[in-house]
Amino acid sequence: MKEVVKTEEGEVFDIELEIDILKANEKLAKENKELLRNHGVQAIDIMGAIGSGKTSLIEKLVQKLKGQYRMAAFKGDLTTTIDAELIARHGVEVVPINTGKECHLDANLVRKALQRLDLDNFDLLFIENVGNLICPAEFPLGSEKRVVVISVTEGPYMVVKHPFIFMDADVVVINKVDLARAMEVDVKKLEADVKRIKPNARVAVTNCRSGEGIGEVVEALDL
Amino acid sequence: MHEFSTTTQIVESILKEVKKHNAKRVDEVHLVIGKLTFLGLEQVKFAYEVLVKNTIMEGSKLYIEEKNGMVKCSKCGYEGDFKYEDDPMYHIPTPTLHCPKCGEVVKIVGGKECTIKSVKLAA
Repeated sequence: MKEVVKTEEGEVFDIELEIDILKANEKLAKENKELLRNHGVQAIDIMGAIGSGKTSLIEKLVQKLKGQYRMAAFKGDLTTTIDAELIARHGVEVVPINTGKECHLDANLVRKALQRLDLDNFDLLFIENVGNLICPAEFPLGSEKRVVVISVTEGPYMVVKHPFIFMDADVVVINKVDLARAMEVDVKKLEADVKRIKPNARVAVTNCRSGEGIGEVVEALDL
Repeated sequence: MHEFSTTTQIVESILKEVKKHNAKRVDEVHLVIGKLTFLGLEQVKFAYEVLVKNTIMEGSKLYIEEKNGMVKCSKCGYEGDFKYEDDPMYHIPTPTLHCPKCGEVVKIVGGKECTIKSVKLAA
């Protein structure tokens, strides 16, 4: 037998690693999706800026879909359960998720929240992300569809200034349409901006206070 | 955006490898970062320098290969880089999900990776 090959002192060696850091969240998201599918639950992730109307949209959706689906909601916020209570008053099971300092939900937090629910009792789950038009796009949660909510009060450039999150959107909701004229925002232009980035995104125009356009959202979500 | 936490994970993973191989020095670290991640290379480099201080990785050279986005068209079979909007209003070219060849909607197949490709260690 020949002599054993050993690394010499100071010898340099290369190691191929191929460790993907972002894959960890992706893997958890896939597991969440599988878990939800196995229990027949359809999850919808609602993303959007602070104050764009994500909670109001969920409130209007649960009111509209009451009786058709057994619904639950996760409500992500840095702190407080203020919005979670707004949704819960419609008789929906809500799990608040307080991220503390994180600016987005991730698949791990969603997995923890899923453990709080008896999934066999539900068939539709709304996951409201932390208000943010940047970070949530990097972290899939395991939902079937992703919704991005913007509103006209944020001005006419919300889409072009945050193109990446719209690449991930299946449905885009343009909210507070009743204020479009006062804000001098052209809703058609916002819609065109979305289509330019994501041609197959479905767009619904709403006023989540009055309920205008909620039917369009339901349709866009194939509910 | 999450460069610090992501880079922390990168450094921790490498330190684990270093231990496994009983290395005495880390010479090079090679990363691949996709353009569709939300990771700014400048910030990753900055976080790296801060994080490796007083570890065995201090003094190592960080190489980052930036990887283009990759899309695939199910209609015409195109596979390659995105179609970019080069409106002067955007200071960075904005990728769109239109096929650059036929205009159909394309699927993203690459550009979201953040991989530690290899490390060069010294025994």
